[in-house]
This record gives sequence, structure tokens and C-alpha cells, in this order.
Amino acid sequence: MDFFTSYNSLLLWLPALLCGFLSGTTCGTLGAFVVGMRIPFIGICVAHAALAGAVFAALFGLEGQWLMLPALFTSGLTSLLLGVTNPRWIKMDDNVMMSVLFSATMGLAFLGLGLFSIMGRTDGDVRTLLWGSIAFCRWSDVWIMLCVGALLALFILVFYKELQAILFSREIATASGIRTGAIWGGFLLLTALVFTVSLQSVGGLMVYSLVTNPAAAAFQLTRGAARCILLSAFFGMVSGLGGFLISAWTDLPSGAVIVLLSSSIVLLSALWRLGKKR
Amino acid sequence: MTTQAQHPVPVVHLSNIKVTLGKRDVLSVDSFTLQEGEICALMGPNGAGKTTFLKLLLGMILKQTGGTIQLFGQTLSPHNQKLLHQLRRQVGYIPQQSLVAGEFPLTVREAVATGRSATIGLFKRLQPEDWQSVDHWLEELGIANLAGRCLSEISGGEQRKVMIARAMAQNPRLLLLDEPTANLDMGWREQIIQTIQTLYQQTRMTFILVCHELETVPACCRRVVLINEGKLQADGPLEEVFTPRRIQELYGCQMSLSHRNGRYFAIPDPIPSPPTL
Repeated sequence: MDFFTSYNSLLLWLPALLCGFLSGTTCGTLGAFVVGMRIPFIGICVAHAALAGAVFAALFGLEGQWLMLPALFTSGLTSLLLGVTNPRWIKMDDNVMMSVLFSATMGLAFLGLGLFSIMGRTDGDVRTLLWGSIAFCRWSDVWIMLCVGALLALFILVFYKELQAILFSREIATASGIRTGAIWGGFLLLTALVFTVSLQSVGGLMVYSLVTNPAAAAFQLTRGAARCILLSAFFGMVSGLGGFLISAWTDLPSGAVIVLLSSSIVLLSALWRLGKKR
Repeated sequence: MTTQAQHPVPVVHLSNIKVTLGKRDVLSVDSFTLQEGEICALMGPNGAGKTTFLKLLLGMILKQTGGTIQLFGQTLSPHNQKLLHQLRRQVGYIPQQSLVAGEFPLTVREAVATGRSATIGLFKRLQPEDWQSVDHWLEELGIANLAGRCLSEISGGEQRKVMIARAMAQNPRLLLLDEPTANLDMGWREQIIQTIQTLYQQTRMTFILVCHELETVPACCRRVVLINEGKLQADGPLEEVFTPRRIQELYGCQMSLSHRNGRYFAIPDPIPSPPTL
């Protein structure tokens, strides 16, 4: 790829690089909370719900950023449903219910893809929603990601001590008078928002890893909430930006490269932790 | 003497309580009152309704509950969430499970500081005096040396002390402890009992603790409430509540009570002789 050698090419690729930087940092930051609250399955359900929403929207003729609106609707609805539903009402374990929802949302997404061929339409653009593509990144995507990232940062700054209490124990936080319902609802909606805006660049099947892997690596290496969140954001940024650079260099799908890079960071962190223990 | 001094407002007052989960009545309490500075142990077989009793006091099952729950003289209602949150801030709660934060690398000091989060309210940051309170309780409970360690790196007994320090940092008027000595070895069990006893003597706060074994009831606790099949069956000193006949009825085994320095122990009576080989 010639974007390293030509100033004009670099300008052309700048939105893609910024998308990688922003989606990585945002997903990494969010991941520290998602993994810390032991709700990674919520993440995978929400990611696939967003994917299903976008696929069906494309089926009805929407394209570009307009795909984000139905994706946001389905992911937001799924996250809120998961937030308010108590699996014990239907005698079901939390993880089993998440697994059922995960397979249902993935089934819906693939049903949408199947309908494309039945209706005799091309689904090339929609298929990139599965794996992600840097070709999708435009300046408008950068601004949207920047806004969502800023919103997430603001939410964390404002409710930092309450989020810490929820990370310690949601049950105890509620019992001690913290309004966990509202904060939990806000957090789930932000989760849906982050997954949705990262859908096109990272891919619906891959975005989940960009949320969990940086956090899993950070947990291995540090102590203390603030340091852990910052390190997770840094690992997310390295995975996102690095993944986009490698993808641009090699023409490989950006989502796959990002996931493999973030998985390597987890592996290296685990090895470092093992070495330190000995 | 004022009227209030003659009739002090009880910390807990329950009347005509009926908790229904689904179609099943899980707890019914005609009347229960706990005065300021009292320490009370809730005892009974597994599934008797002890944890439900604590959740009732925390206002966590208000929609499933009929009757009146009063904390510090004020009535809990699902329609007054503001009051509910205010009252909860005055109640320290230590649930059964030991490890709470899982793998998130929250430090012990940060975990104890979460006790201040509700007290200082939304949109406010922890001030130096909040951290002083956190450090004070870390010192009091003898876990100051663990302040920088992660929760996943400390033992079950140490985690239990962190939970107590967190609840105390909340500066509560009522402390609810759900089986504080469960799954601990003999040494840690005694340490936690002594900690509860010391805290009670120092603060004279109101305590309710759920216990399974007679030997885990601290010596300072002179009131035992027996719950069985969702009903309060007895209320009084331990030796009056746990008569050999009642133990036989409840647990199906013959035991007699022994006591020393205010602590009680149940031992099989008669002790069966070992089988001959």
C-alpha cells in the first residue's frame, strides 16, 4: 500500500486510521466495564442484534450511515431487554438465556443475508458488516465515533464512583442506596451505541472481541480501576489502529486483523503474568 | 423526660408482613421490632426465609410484600423511591457470597471506598475526609496492609473483612450481615466473630446477623429470632429459643447446649460411641 509514501494517499486513508484509533479506544474502555461486570454475553448479544438490524435495514433499501439507525434501535432494545429481564422468572440461568438470545440474533442476521439472495439482490456491502471494512470509513464515521467516544468518556467521568460500586457488586450497590437502575440502563444504552458505530469498520462478528480482549489483557497486567481502564483503552487503541494499518498494508479484512492482533495482546499478557508468577 | 425518650423510635418495625413470591407465601411476620443498639441473630434451617427477611428490610422485595415495613420510623414504599434510597444509605449490608468483584482488578482500598459512594451522593467526588474514613476502617479491621492488593489476591476471610470495612465506611445506623462466617475455616470464623463483637461494643450500632450455627453467635448477642417455614417461631435469649426439644423438631437430631463466657455450642446428646472394627 502506498499511503505511507504519498501525502495525498495518507490524507485519503486518514479517516480509516482515525476510525481504527477511535473504535479501538472506545471499545477498549467500554470493555473494562463489560468484562469487569461479567456481562460479556450481553456484549455478544447486542453486537449481533445491531448486525441483524443493519442487515434488515439494508434489505429494505437503506444504505451508508442510515443503516446505523435501525441497528441502534435493535441493539438498544436488546440491551434494555437484557437489563430488565430476570432469567429466574422463566427458570433459566443467565448464561443460558444469553446463549439463546445470541443464537436468535445471529440467526436473524443470517436470515436477512439469506433473503438477499432469495430476492435476487447483491449483498456485497452487507456482508462487509460481518467482517468489517476500512473502505467504509469516511469523515462522517469519524465524527460519529468521536461523539460516541466523548459520550462514553463523559458518562464514565460523571458516574465513576457509582460504576466502581457496581463493579464491586451490583447487589451491594443497590442495597446501599445507589440508583443502579438508571446508571445500569444508561450503561447498557451506551454499550449498544458503541457496538453499533463500530459495526461497519470492525464488523458485527468481530466487534465483540475488540471489547473483551483489551480488557482481558489489562486485567492480567495491572491493579486499580483507573489504571485498568486506561490500559484497556490503550490496548484497544493499539488493536484498532494497528489492525487498520496492517489491513491497509495487506488488503486483509480489517475486522479479522484487529481480532487477531488483540488476541495476540491477550496471549502475551497471559504469558507475562505466568512468567511473573514464576 | 420527653415522650420520645420514653418511646424511642425503633430502628426496625414490621407489622402484618406477608411476602409472596409467585403463588408461594415465603415469609409472614405478625410483628417484629428492633430497638437502637440491639444486636439480633436470625437463625433457622436452610430455606426458612432468613435471607428474604434481610431483603425485606432493604426494600428489595417491596412489590411482593404486604404489610408495613418501617426503618428508623419511616415507612418503606415502592412508590417513594427517593425515601427508599435515603433509608438504604443508612443500612450496611454484607451478603453471603465472599468474592464479589471477580476478576476486575479493584484494589481493597477502592472496594472499601465504594461504601462512601452512596453516602456522598450523585455528581460528587470522594473528598479527603472520605478517604480518611476508608483508611480508618482498613486500620480498624486490621487489613490496612492489604490496601493496594486486588480482591482476587486475598483470602476468603480477608474478603469478608473487606466487606465489613466497606459497610462501616458507609457510616450506617443498621448493619445486616448474612452468614458472615459461612465457608470460613475455624481461625477466620473466630476472627470474624470477634470483629463483630468489637464493632458492636465500640459503636453500639444496631446489628442483625443471620447465623446457621449456634457457636457463631457472638457472646454480646442476647436476642435470637428463630425463623422456620417462613414464620417467626421464637424470639428471646439463645438458650430459651434453642431448647433440646426444638432442636429435635427442627433439625431431627438430639443435641444439648453447652456454654462458656456467653458463647453457646451444640453437641450431640448422647454422643454416639464409635463403631467397633
